[in-house]
Amino acid sequence: MFKDLDPILHSQLRLAVMSLLISVKEAEFTFIREKTKATAGNLSVQIQKLKDAGYIEVNKQFKDNYPLTTCSITKKGIDAFEKYVKALQSYLNTDKK
Amino acid sequence: MEKDFSVQQSLEVIESMINQAKNKFNNDSPLYLLWGWIVLICSVGNYLLYKFQLVEKPHLIWLLLFVALIVQIIYLIKQHKKEKVKTYIDEILGYIWTSFGITMFLISFVVGQSSGNWINFYPTLLILYGIPTFLSGAVMRFLPLKIGGICCWALAITTLFISKNYYLLIIALAVIIAWIIPGYLMKSFFKKQSI
Repeated sequence: MFKDLDPILHSQLRLAVMSLLISVKEAEFTFIREKTKATAGNLSVQIQKLKDAGYIEVNKQFKDNYPLTTCSITKKGIDAFEKYVKALQSYLNTDKK
Repeated sequence: MEKDFSVQQSLEVIESMINQAKNKFNNDSPLYLLWGWIVLICSVGNYLLYKFQLVEKPHLIWLLLFVALIVQIIYLIKQHKKEKVKTYIDEILGYIWTSFGITMFLISFVVGQSSGNWINFYPTLLILYGIPTFLSGAVMRFLPLKIGGICCWALAITTLFISKNYYLLIIALAVIIAWIIPGYLMKSFFKKQSI
């Protein structure tokens, strides 16, 4: 049924990360973890997958000697997200018919 | 679990996450209060020093603005370290107030260099105060700031009908309405949100 849905986005946590990042300019890893209520380990894995797909940019730096990871969505990510939402809409429309 | 992830659930995830970040902006109330109080002290101070002839150059009280600027820079550096997310609203607000700051700096420079006659310039100053205040209120959807901005413009018009001697008090009134009151309202808004 979901063959047209982007498999990278059609996963609860990855979709949550993308939905958060589409609404803001950039967000720290801790902010995303707080909002998605995911574990740090799982979130790291999913963020890496989104990064590998080119959907998000991950910036690692140090702040007061602590590692700091900030994420932001890329143009490719925005396009993929829009395409995904359109696909969802088309499924809903087919259901109605 | 992921196989059962339905279209409906997808939409719920998107909606809930977008709501988490929607209309989010940093609590800038300390800055409104800082500038509001400093300008209030300077304008009322200048008025009183001038009226009672207490000092030779009463306008030098405005140098206190530099103190506010230093406090603001320290505050922003600390704040930058704390903030976990940067929204588009924060970015736009930053640009609005930076352009206002640059405008004010250039104006003080130009007026100082040309005539040095500030009193004729106060009505224009009020019109300028209205711009970033109204825009910030619009971007944040925060009504008190929007009203504050409109009041600045209204007060600029009232200067046509009153003596120039009272212009400084009009400036004082403008910052109370446009920055100090919205500043305290914003502070309590964020306090309620954090509970």
